[in-house]
Amino acid sequence: MQSYYINQAVCSDTLTRGLPELIPDAGMRRRMSKMVKMGVATGMSCFDSHFSADSVDAIITATGLGCLEDSEKFLRNLIENDEQLLNPTPFIQSTFNTVGAQIGLLCKNHSYNMTYAHRGRSFESALLDAILLLNDEDYKNILVGAIDYTIPQQLKIMERMGFWRTDKPGEGAFFFMVSSERTADTIAELKALEFPDAEIEKEELTKRYGVEKDSSAKLFYREYDTTGVYPTVSAASLYDALQEMKRNEVETIYLYNSFRNEYPSLITLGCI
Amino acid sequence: MRIPVIGIGVISALGIGVEENLTALREGRTGIDRLTLFESIHNVPVGEVKYTSEKLKEILGLNKQDSYSRTALLGICAADLALRDAGLETSSARVGLISATSVGGMDLTENFYKDFLSDETKGRLRDVKSHDCADSTLQIARYCGIKGFTSTISTACSSAANAIMLGARMLESNMLDYVVVGGTDALCKFTLNGFRSLMILDSNRCRPFDETRAGLNLGEGAAYLVLCREELVMDNDPYCFLTGFANTNDAFHQTATSSDGEGATRSMRGALKKASLRPDEIGYINVHGTGTFNNDASEGAALKRVFTKDIPPFSSTKAFTGHTLAAAGGIEAVYAVLSLKHGLLYPNLNYVSSGDSELNPQSILKMSDRIDHVMSNSFGFGGNSSTLIFSK
Repeated sequence: MQSYYINQAVCSDTLTRGLPELIPDAGMRRRMSKMVKMGVATGMSCFDSHFSADSVDAIITATGLGCLEDSEKFLRNLIENDEQLLNPTPFIQSTFNTVGAQIGLLCKNHSYNMTYAHRGRSFESALLDAILLLNDEDYKNILVGAIDYTIPQQLKIMERMGFWRTDKPGEGAFFFMVSSERTADTIAELKALEFPDAEIEKEELTKRYGVEKDSSAKLFYREYDTTGVYPTVSAASLYDALQEMKRNEVETIYLYNSFRNEYPSLITLGCI
Repeated sequence: MRIPVIGIGVISALGIGVEENLTALREGRTGIDRLTLFESIHNVPVGEVKYTSEKLKEILGLNKQDSYSRTALLGICAADLALRDAGLETSSARVGLISATSVGGMDLTENFYKDFLSDETKGRLRDVKSHDCADSTLQIARYCGIKGFTSTISTACSSAANAIMLGARMLESNMLDYVVVGGTDALCKFTLNGFRSLMILDSNRCRPFDETRAGLNLGEGAAYLVLCREELVMDNDPYCFLTGFANTNDAFHQTATSSDGEGATRSMRGALKKASLRPDEIGYINVHGTGTFNNDASEGAALKRVFTKDIPPFSSTKAFTGHTLAAAGGIEAVYAVLSLKHGLLYPNLNYVSSGDSELNPQSILKMSDRIDHVMSNSFGFGGNSSTLIFSK
């Protein structure tokens, strides 16, 4: 049986290097919307002196709503200018695969490059794809990321739809190095990724895993108080769970996510 | 690896279903014509599906009051045809759906946004709820009763080929028994103006690989294949098998492709390796062949690198359908399957002369009983390069 390890976890809020270092081309930076810039920078920050971009065998990204800022800008220009004299840049950058593609371009990585855009299952699809690739011995290190950033027009539309009556909005970029090999940097073992048929109550999972009696195991159940709710919020939850893992206080974390009571997923993390 | 193809369904500018598409391909009759779906200041030819969204709802037996993006309607139509063709009952959780789209529900969002821009309290919310890529996939799953793993891929113009690949890999890993794979994209103002702003739309009918080529024609449509695990094929006589595939990246430019066709070379070589085939065993290549100067030069360079002097018969079918973006890899996969089944080399319409490139596509329809393996290429923005190989 192949084992899967998470060897890096990076969040857009805690980047340790500046954007000019992560995306050296100033022209490229200028053309990027916030989502693309933060997504690319967060992905690029997984590469450093002891882990080069050449070692990555695939780049897989996930986004629920894609590059909204670029799509909105191009659509607005098209309506306001009556289809005339349009700047192609926001159109070019509006495709859902822009972040993954730009990371591939920046580090001249010719390997497998994929993007999932399936609402609350975007990130889990990317993670599943990484697992499938790692079952093939040609693949050892997979960069998996999730990116969703809000724009004011979207927040307004979702307010009219009633989303913010129950949830608060959120955004962010998160990247993980998922590997078939354990290294000195390994944070946790990815022991399982499951897709339950329907939403599972917290009580049922608490009982199933005995997390109340067993202090070595912990359940992260839809913990979106600090993150807000957005399609790829499960990537933020995974990041939070990995920070907990780094404290070396628990052996197992069961991470349960669902987006607006749909797309339930269950991730099991084991300590190293 | 051999993944049986047990069902196919397609809707394009050439018609609804395999027969209408095949007849047009055999007769060399293009589906590209004047734009009628929406008002635009751009007078460019397009490959429209010749039914309004209202008419599609009627054909599919859907309630006219319910809101469906055109992308969803096209997708439902093609996926339903593929499932009927396979005679597959979808109630098992081991039947999945991997669909691809690049525009999602943009055709409805455009209507919404006009009103919303003038007043943020305006615009019908039902016209924007289908905006994301997942919507069309979920509508297909609901209509067809698919309950197994469902996901959406969006890698620009290589999307459907990547959906086919993921489905095949899930079958190989025994995560599913059957999977419906392909893509759907509707024409809309957003993409028409996007490609126009890039100045890669030909104002005449596109001429892939011709020395006078001046850009692409946009199209729309959807196509799906039903794949299954090899053990389950039993009584169904499969059309053919998916034997090779590869996904690589050109890593050259966000929209342009490299002059040496690095990404395309890698994807074709990768697919050959996966299928354990030599280049000379390929009987026909359905090339990406958009008709832009850049794509065809780059893909041509890659063909020379992979096949050296003996490039197999190849043609682009985009002069029939237009470039259907995220659906292209699906529609062309269906055409690849039909090429194997009927021994057909499709004509590359509007081609007159290669000029200096010396890359001569198949210009007239040809029957051949020696096509055992067909290759299909799909490349997209962001350098995404994908190749599929189907075998008898």
